[in-house]
Amino acid sequence: MSSVLRILLRRLGISVIVLIGVSMLIFAIARIIPGDPARIALGPNATAEQVVMIRTEMHLDEPIVAQYGHFVADVLRGDLGTSLYTNRPVTTDIAEFLPATLELVIFAGILMVGFGLPLGILAARHRGRWPDHVVRVLTLLTVSAPSFVWAVILMLLFAFYLPLFPVAGRLDSAYDITRVTGFLTVDTLIAGNFGAFLDALHHLVLPAVALALSGIGQAARLTRANMVETYDKPYIEMAEAYGFFPSRIARRYAFKPSLIPSLTIIGLDFAAMLGNAFLVEAVFAWPGLSRYGVAVILRKDLNAIMGTVLIIALTFLVVNIIVDLLIAFLNTRIRHSTRGAT
Amino acid sequence: MSALLDIRDLRLGFKGLRGITEVLHGIDLAIAAGERVALVGESGSGKSVTARIILGLLQEARAARVSGAVEFDGRDISTMPARQRAKLRGTEMSMIFQDPTSSLNPTFTIGRQFAEVMRRRQPEMSREACDRRASEMLAEVSIPDPARVLSAYPFQLSGGMNQRVMIAMALVNHPKLLLADEPGTALDVSVQALTLRLMHDLVERHGTAVLFISHNLGVVREFADRVYVIYRGRIVEEGPTRALFDNPGHAYTRALMSAVPRITGAGLPEVPEVSDDFLAPMVRHTGGAA
Ligand SMILES: Nc1ncnc2c1ncn2[C@@H]1O[C@H](COP(=O)(O)OP(=O)(O)OP(=O)(O)O)[C@@H](O)[C@H]1O
Ligand SMILES: [Mg+2]
Repeated sequence: MSSVLRILLRRLGISVIVLIGVSMLIFAIARIIPGDPARIALGPNATAEQVVMIRTEMHLDEPIVAQYGHFVADVLRGDLGTSLYTNRPVTTDIAEFLPATLELVIFAGILMVGFGLPLGILAARHRGRWPDHVVRVLTLLTVSAPSFVWAVILMLLFAFYLPLFPVAGRLDSAYDITRVTGFLTVDTLIAGNFGAFLDALHHLVLPAVALALSGIGQAARLTRANMVETYDKPYIEMAEAYGFFPSRIARRYAFKPSLIPSLTIIGLDFAAMLGNAFLVEAVFAWPGLSRYGVAVILRKDLNAIMGTVLIIALTFLVVNIIVDLLIAFLNTRIRHSTRGAT
Repeated sequence: MSALLDIRDLRLGFKGLRGITEVLHGIDLAIAAGERVALVGESGSGKSVTARIILGLLQEARAARVSGAVEFDGRDISTMPARQRAKLRGTEMSMIFQDPTSSLNPTFTIGRQFAEVMRRRQPEMSREACDRRASEMLAEVSIPDPARVLSAYPFQLSGGMNQRVMIAMALVNHPKLLLADEPGTALDVSVQALTLRLMHDLVERHGTAVLFISHNLGVVREFADRVYVIYRGRIVEEGPTRALFDNPGHAYTRALMSAVPRITGAGLPEVPEVSDDFLAPMVRHTGGAA
């Protein structure tokens, strides 16, 4: 357990450094962008006096280092400023839009693990035979197009031509669900409205699949490759010579050593989905953080942009830490998938 | 004498890019219950594939074409359903491999692997019962501290220790036939000689029949009752160990013998050149022990 703790501490340290870097970067970019933040904030009809006043208020007349200091102090107090776009505190906006994105990404992550690993195991177990060929061709297809392309294709196929799934949104407007967590699949269950729960799931399927497809393909291909390598090991031959069932050999003998590399790639893909979600959300009109992010970027809403980037970076780091801890935990349990490790 | 294993006219081909490559060209081989039989020949002569066919593994490989009869305990392995074949493996017959350390699963403890093997025979066996039985078995192969070995991973043990573990594991289910494919050639010579002697005593006590595969005539001479010499997928000579060593009849056997290293248990025989005499008809020694 101490090694897990050590990894946690180290990752937390690295995360703090990364966050400082990200904050400096976005702060610098915000200052480089042409246009006076005070004027943007006040609008075109402001008087010169008003501009001077707001510049003092926003600390724009102080040296850049001091300005960064104020920025950090505000962030640490949980104050990300006010959005010019919604006229609300940025934190309020993020609290509203982030859960939709997280719900989508988590659901896609479940699909990635739930389909990627079993497909990889299936292909490896029947390596060189038709299930392997089918999985390899299909996964090659899924990894060769980015998720927003899949979003468009899936939407055309399964929402327009075959209207099996809704085209846009998270929930039918007929339902009125009290917001508790912001995760509609959870909130509908809290409200005890099972019909709404199913409707929320129904809305989730297409965007989540679009987001997960390439990750499923990658996880399956990597799992297959690792397992095929393991299948050549003498201890697999020994297991066969002792008559263990092929399915047992696949799961207990060949898959186990491949679990850690597979989880690592899934973790990376999971974090990358936060970025890919931007475009998928745009295609499916998913009211998440990405859509908010695009909207505020188009309006040069600096506070909102900086807040959004910070939150995404934070989420990314948290996901990475969780994945690392999971792998460290499994490592201590699996001990030695490769000889001489640790 | 009704044989435990009776192989008749066994042929094997591998489907490749340029048609089928024949590897075994009609092998006849029999092992009586409790008999120790050696199969000797140089690298690539078809020893391991024969063992894999007896285990019923090659019959399941897509590229392999197997024909002929492989009767084990009165039933033909080649024609029985895959499930039935799998049932025999690890229970009625088991196998020992060349490199013990890499043949044991590095992700499980020895105790766990013993339990998996024992549950092939008795699926309901508790872990405690498995550990108890495994300890007895480990004591039989002169492992002084069975409890420590059972909780260890294979890479934490020496090669010789793993070899003993593997012998114990192979015999724990009281198989009728043990296949040993160049057991322990990956090990130190003295360690190898020691574990072979252990194995010899153990199979004698348990009355286990053995097909002992080897390059090494010196080792074979000490271990086996009867010897088959295989050359390029054909049996070229067969007979009781004494008779065969005293009076080798086939040119290839003589070449193998002259190549035997002096020190018992070491190295590969190098048969210097290929001679047309090696393709001479099979020599069969009759009489003597069988
Ligand atoms: N899966 C396979 N596909 C194609 N050819 C094979 C396959 N397995 C074995 N062979 C061929 O069959 C022949 C016999 O191989 P085998 O492994 O039985 O040799 P061996 O007598 O055990 O040799 P060694 O002493 O080196 O272990 C070799 O020529 C080998 O190339
Ligand atoms: Mg071999």
